Amino acid sequence: MTGFLKRTMLVGATVLALPGAASAATQGTSGATSTGSVTISATVPGRVQISGLSDVAFGTVDPVSAAAQAQNVCVWSNTSGRGYSVTASGSGAGNAFSLTDGTNTLAYGVEWAASSGQSSGTALVSGTALGSLASTATTPTCSAGPPASASLIVKMTAASLQAAVASSYTGTLTLVVAPQ
Amino acid sequence: MLAGGACIAFLLGLPLPAHAANRVRISGLTDVAFGSITTLTVDSLQSESICVFSKSPPANNYSVTASGSGPGGAFLLSSVSGTLPFEVQWSDSPGQTSGSQLVANEALAAQHSSASGGSADDCSSGPASTASLIVILRSAALGAALSGTYTGTLSLLVAPE
Repeated sequence: MTGFLKRTMLVGATVLALPGAASAATQGTSGATSTGSVTISATVPGRVQISGLSDVAFGTVDPVSAAAQAQNVCVWSNTSGRGYSVTASGSGAGNAFSLTDGTNTLAYGVEWAASSGQSSGTALVSGTALGSLASTATTPTCSAGPPASASLIVKMTAASLQAAVASSYTGTLTLVVAPQ
Repeated sequence: MLAGGACIAFLLGLPLPAHAANRVRISGLTDVAFGSITTLTVDSLQSESICVFSKSPPANNYSVTASGSGPGGAFLLSSVSGTLPFEVQWSDSPGQTSGSQLVANEALAAQHSSASGGSADDCSSGPASTASLIVILRSAALGAALSGTYTGTLSLLVAPE
C-alpha cells in the first residue's frame, strides 16, 4: 500500500513538472516592418470509406450452372499503407450469407479482391475480418484517382441453386471496412 | 554641414522638429491548433483576432505578406506521412471568419489599422485587436492526406503604406 502511494505521488509530481503546451507563436517588434509567426498543427485521424456499391440482381438463374455477379467498389483508406480490413455479414440466420423468399433460403458466397475488375477473390466468412488489404484510392469516394479500388463478387453454386425451391429470393449483404 | 532649418534651430538652441518614421507592429498571435479533425469531408477553419499597429499617416495603412514553411514559402504542413496544404485569409477587421486570400510571398496591400497614432503598439490601450488571421484546411486536402499529425509555421510580415 505504501509503495503504491509512493508511486502515485511520484507520478503526480512528474505531471506537475511537465511543461505546459508552450506557445511557439512569436510576436513582432515595432519598426519599419514587423514580423510574427505562428505554428499550425492538425491531426488527421485514420479513416476509411466504402462507396460505389450497387445492388446485386441475378435475375432469373438457371440452376444447371453456377452464377456470379462482380462489381467494382471504392474503398478508401488514409493510413500510411492505405491498409484496411473488410468484414461481411448476411441477413440469414446468424448473419449467414443466405437469401430468403420468406420461407425457403438460398445460400450464396462472397469474395473480395483488393483491386477492381476481378471476377474472383478471397472468400469471405460471415463476421470474420479479411485484413491486410491495401487500397489504391486517393480520395474518399474515388472522385479523383482510380475510379474503383476493389471488387465484390457474389456467387451461387450450382448445388445451392439446385437445392433451392423455385422462387424469388432476396437478402442483404453488409460490408464493414476498418483502417489498418 | 546641416541643412538650413536644422542649422538655424541648432544655433538658436531650439529643439529640432521630430520626424517620426512610419512604423508597424504585429502582435497578439497565437498558435493555430486544429486538433484531431473528426470530419474530413468538410473544410476546417481556425480564425484569430490579432493586433496590427500602423503609424503611417495619413491613412495608417499597411500591407501583409505571409509565407509558410513549405518549399519556397508554400502554405504546407508536413508530417512523416506527407504534406497537407492550407489556405490563409486576412481581414483588417477582428472577429472575421473570411477575408482576402493570401498568396505565399505576395503582399496584400491597402489594409487599414484602427490602432495607430496614440494607441499602444500592442493594442493594450485599445482597440484590443484590429485584424483577423484565418487558416483553412480544405476538405479536398484533408481527404487526400494520409493520417498523421501535421505541423508547420506561418510567418506574417507587415509593412507600412
